[in-house]
This record gives sequence, C-alpha cells and structure tokens, in this order.
Amino acid sequence: MRLRLRLAVTAAAVMLPVTLALFWFDAATQHRAAQQILIEYTLSRTSADRQGCEAAPERWGGALSPMDPPFREPPPRNKMEGQAPRGPPPDEPPQSRMEGPLPHGPPPDEGHGPPPRGAFPPPPSERRPRARPAVLFAYDEARRSANPAAPAMPAALAAEIAQGDVARTSFVWPTSEVEVLVRTPWGTGPCAFVLARGTTDPAWGAILPETQVWLLPVVAVLLAVLLAMGPVIRRIRRLTEAARRSASLSYASDVAIGGGDEIAELAAAFDAARREIRAQLEEKDRREKALRDFVANTTHDVMVPLAVLQGHLATLRERAAEGGPHDAAAVVSAMNEAHYMASLVHNLTAAARLQAAEVTLQPSRVDLGALVERVIGRHRPIARQLDVSLEIAVPDEPLIISADVTLIEQAVSNVTYNAVRYNHPGGHVALVLERDGASFTLRVIDDGPGIAAEALSRLVERGYRGDEARTRAPGGQGLGLHIAFRAAELHGFAMTLKPSEHGGLEVTLSGPAPPPDSG
Amino acid sequence: MSKRVLIVEDDAELGAQIVKRLKDAGYEPSWWREGRRLHPGALPDVALVILDIMLPGAYGLDMLKDLRGFSEVPVLVLSARNDTADKVRALKLGADDYMTKPFWPEELVERVAARLRRPMMQRSEIIEAGNLRIDRTSREVTRGGERVELTRVELDLLVALAQRPGAAVTRRSLAERVLDPERDGNERTLDVHVSRLRKKLGPGVCIETVWGIGYRLSPGPGP
Repeated sequence: MRLRLRLAVTAAAVMLPVTLALFWFDAATQHRAAQQILIEYTLSRTSADRQGCEAAPERWGGALSPMDPPFREPPPRNKMEGQAPRGPPPDEPPQSRMEGPLPHGPPPDEGHGPPPRGAFPPPPSERRPRARPAVLFAYDEARRSANPAAPAMPAALAAEIAQGDVARTSFVWPTSEVEVLVRTPWGTGPCAFVLARGTTDPAWGAILPETQVWLLPVVAVLLAVLLAMGPVIRRIRRLTEAARRSASLSYASDVAIGGGDEIAELAAAFDAARREIRAQLEEKDRREKALRDFVANTTHDVMVPLAVLQGHLATLRERAAEGGPHDAAAVVSAMNEAHYMASLVHNLTAAARLQAAEVTLQPSRVDLGALVERVIGRHRPIARQLDVSLEIAVPDEPLIISADVTLIEQAVSNVTYNAVRYNHPGGHVALVLERDGASFTLRVIDDGPGIAAEALSRLVERGYRGDEARTRAPGGQGLGLHIAFRAAELHGFAMTLKPSEHGGLEVTLSGPAPPPDSG
Repeated sequence: MSKRVLIVEDDAELGAQIVKRLKDAGYEPSWWREGRRLHPGALPDVALVILDIMLPGAYGLDMLKDLRGFSEVPVLVLSARNDTADKVRALKLGADDYMTKPFWPEELVERVAARLRRPMMQRSEIIEAGNLRIDRTSREVTRGGERVELTRVELDLLVALAQRPGAAVTRRSLAERVLDPERDGNERTLDVHVSRLRKKLGPGVCIETVWGIGYRLSPGPGP
C-alpha cells in the first residue's frame, strides 16, 4: 500500500469511530437533558393545571405548546426546582412551532425580548429540527386514561414508575423521541400519572457545537497531514531512484539526499552499505583476478613437470621397444617429477588456503614425532632413488603440540623435500626433533649445495613477502618455502634458515610444546 | 602374528596396486571395493585395516566409527583430500595413522610394517637386540652367549641405543644421558666411547653413525 493511502486509511480508521462516539455521546447528553426538561415541564404544567385536569380528564392532554425549557445554564440537572413553566398555554396555535424555542433563548411568546446570551435566532430554514411541543396525557391510579386519544401506558414505564416518582425510557441508541412518565405530587385521581412525549432539542445539553463547522478543522488537519506527506514521499522516491541507479552501476555512484532529516540519514546509511558492498565487490574482483593468475601459473607449474614426465616415459617406451638396456636414470627422473607434482599440488592447495583474507587455523593435538615420521615416509622413496640418505631422530617420549596438522606437515614436508630434491647423489638430509623444556626444535639439515649468503637473505625475504615466491628461482624453493614461512608465522612458530655446519642448509622450526605431564 | 590386511578402496587401479604390493611384501590382503556399514562379526580377522575415507556406499569415517565400536584393530586411513578437518576427525575416531594420496607403494608397505611392528620401545630389564643380550639389573652384556666387559659409560650408551633398535639417537641426547659433563666431557668424548664400544662388541653388532644425528644400533638378524 502506498504511503499516502496508508496514512489516509489509518487516519480514517482512527477518526471515524472517535467521531461516531462523539456524536453518540452528544445525542445521549441531549436525550438526557430533554428528558429532564420534559419531566420538569410536565410536573410544573400538571401542578398548575390540576383543576383543569381533574375536571375534564377526558379532554385534558394532547399536544400542548412548544416546549418551554427552563432557562438555566447548564441545562437542568436538578429536577423539581419548581420553576413555573414560562411556555405558552397548551392551546397556543401551532404556528409558533415553526419558530421553536430559541437556543438558550426565551420562549416564543417572549421572542420579542433580547436573547439572554446574545444568541441570534436561527434562520427559518434551520437544518436541525427543533423540539416538538410536548404531548401530555393523564392517567388514573389504575394507569388508565380518560382521554380516548391517550395511548395505553407503555409497560416498561408502568413497571418503572412503581419504583419511583419518575420513569424514563431507557435508551441504547438515543433518538430524538423522548418519553417520560411522571407521578403527580398528589398521586391520586384521574391525574395520578402523566405521560409526556417530546423530542430533543439541539440546544439542550449538547456538547458539540450546533453547527457542524467543527468538522472542518478536523478534515483540514487530515488534509494537511496528507499534503505534508508530499515532500516526504518525493524525497523517498528520490532516494529509491538514487539507490536503483547506484545498484545498476555496480554501486559506483553515491546514494546521497541532502538535508538533515531521517530520510537524509537513511540515505547516508544506504551510502555506507553501498560503500561496503563496493569494497566487497572490489575485493572479490581482486581475488578472482588473483585466482585466475593463480590457476594460470599453477597450470604452467604443473605442465612443466608433466611434460618432463611424459618425455621420460616416452624415452622408456622407446628403449623398451628397441629392446635396449633399462634406463634407470630416466625412471628416477620420471619418479622425481611425479613426486614434485604431488608436492606442488599439495602446496597449491595450501597456498589457496593461505591466500584467504583471514586464514582460519584448525588447531588440534599433533604428535610432532609421528608427523615427522610421516614426512620422512613420504620422501624416503624418492630420496632413495636420488641416492640421498634421509635420516630422522625423534625423542623417546611423544612430543605433542597444538597446530593445524595439514599446514605444519606441509611446512616440514616442503623444507625436507627441498633439502632432498636439491641435494646431490650421495648427499644427506637429517631431521632432528628435540624437546627443550617447554619448547620444541625441529632442524632439517642437509649437505647439499647450500645457498650463498645474499641469495639466502633474498630467499628468506621472498619467503616472507610471498610475491615472486612462486618463481622457481633460485632452485624452485620459492613457493614451498613461502608456505613453510607462512604456516610457521600463523602458528607463532619461529623458522630460521642458516648455512649448516655440513655445508648445506639448516632450517630450524621451533615453537612452544607443553611438557608432557601438563597434558 | 597374522599378516592379514583388509583394504577398503573404491578405485580399481589403486586398489589392485596396493593389493599386489602387500602380497609381494608377504601380507595376505583382502580387498573391499566399496564401503559398507560394519557390525561385530562383519569384519574378517585381520591385523590391520587400510581405509579410504572417500568411499561410495558408506562414508569411510562412518565405517571407522562402526569399527571402533567393537574392534581395536589398527586402522590406516587414506585420504585424497589434504584437509585438516578430515584428518583430525579420523584421528579422533580412533584411526592410528593416515596417509595422503598420492603415495609411493613402498611408503605404504613401510607404514603397514611399522604399524604391525609396534611397540618398538624396550623397557624391560632384559634387552635383546640381534645376538646381543643386555641385563640392566646385573649390568651384564653377552654377545652370542659370550660375556662382554663394558665400562659404565659404554654400557649406558649401549642400553640407550638398544632400547630403540633401528632408531637414530642424537649425539646430544646420548651425551646428556650417559656422560657426566664434569668427568666425562662433551659430545666429542662420546665418539671415543662409541669407537671403543664398537671394538669391544666386534663385527657382529653394528653401531651405525647416522649423518647429522648421531648413532643407531642397526637391527641385527633375529634370534
């Protein structure tokens, strides 16, 4: 539902019952006032004309004169004030009915006098009906009337008069008709009860102004509210437009609405959300590009050893076809390439994980000795083929640390494989795991060619930086070493590279290891 | 000891290779080509299970869970996904070890052998390694029944090596264990003791020098 329609409907839904209740209450008040006036009029009229009534009960009654309300402000509440009716006699010609009593004004027969409260006489074409003349009928103690024109006494009133001196019709929905039954002060004879019928008069007891001009401001307020919605709705539409335009431009354009109101604040909030989305999109684009580059580089990295492997396999097949001697070197090279590819793919998986904006480690209890043995187990077959001895020493007691087992295993594996792969036949690689109090030290020592001092520092720097880490130079250790560095860094472990005392490289990984007795 | 090994592996090529390798190594492999939920009695009498955790039929880890409900047989898990959560879950569910694909066949055979050989550590008072017999209480060493006289340091050295036959022990830990730094000196002195010990034990017992680490008592021929 549109905003304006919703507002109109809501306002109508609230105002309508309130207005109706107001009208009902007004009518009820009028009704009560008219009853009271009718009672007093009847009493005074009957008291004044007791002789006339008792003398000729069969003729007494009927339409008397226009109602003559006692002039009191506010409309009478205390009955039996004993004020004599100042209305015209009962046989007043009915033409005065047209004029009716003036609102809060004098009765028609005194109409020539100035109105007591300066009220103007209503125009003859008064829209709202004035009170009709009261109609009275006298009844005897048996509740019968001598007047043939009198109606039978209403049962409800007859029942009620037994309880008191006055009976009123109870009302639920106030009508203009008013009916009361009054016990005369003497209460005997043919005029023991008087039934009076009359109508309400808008001048009596009304709480709403007589003219309905008061409805105008109410409607005006409603219209004003609906009109005031106009600029608000326009601003909201502009905001919608700006948000749509921004969305169609991948959130590159601002969502801005001037001003200091809530809509401007909403626009600012939209704009903040837009900037966030924009930043996320840019980050996503950046990552997508990185991933594309990564896949492209990876493809290259895997294709090269694969090509070498295919070459070796082709050589082997040709030799076999020729029935030539078994080419052991080609087999070893083929195995080495296959091993390299496996290690590369593991590293690519790890690198993809480590490239995430926020790397989440999955730490668990890791038996470092078992881990080192697994790493050795993985590389020993290839080390054997390359004629590189691969030895390991782990402490007697299990060495348990808290780490992400995949990343740390990959780090140790990379360092170990580098030491094996770039060694020379007859070379050595040793992994030594030791506990030193509450920390562990894992050293990977080799007697390979080693790395010159400045190349080493460059490699370390590159390993830390990560860019260019993928390039194979020097010796292709880049990516594997970078992953090892990153994994160590994420775990808060220290990883250092230095020339080993045996001429090669010594890589040390160390970190906290809670003593076994503390769990 | 039974050498029967159960292999649960869905890949035909890899499964056949593993079966052949294990047969060649003297094991009796049986091969399930798909996972199935296990209940007591459904598992053949095997000494070890090699379980691929990505299987059609029943998820490998579910099989492991089933298995651990009634059996303590060693389980070696194979995983193609190098994923921490998988491994941690497998170890928590009671796997003894895992291997990530790809692996060299000999690596698998070595791991199976290592798993079936355990426990290696000798803690008893009598240590036997090859034809060597060491009584730690009486501090007597015999080689092929013949008594060998050793000094205190030499005996401690031999015990340290013989407790984990085949495993390399670092010179540092040997020195810490057998040398009194005030009397016997440092790691350099250790080499002298080892060389004397080798001479006393003769050619039948091999104390290998392990490059970069220290020494190892190579496992001799069984008694």
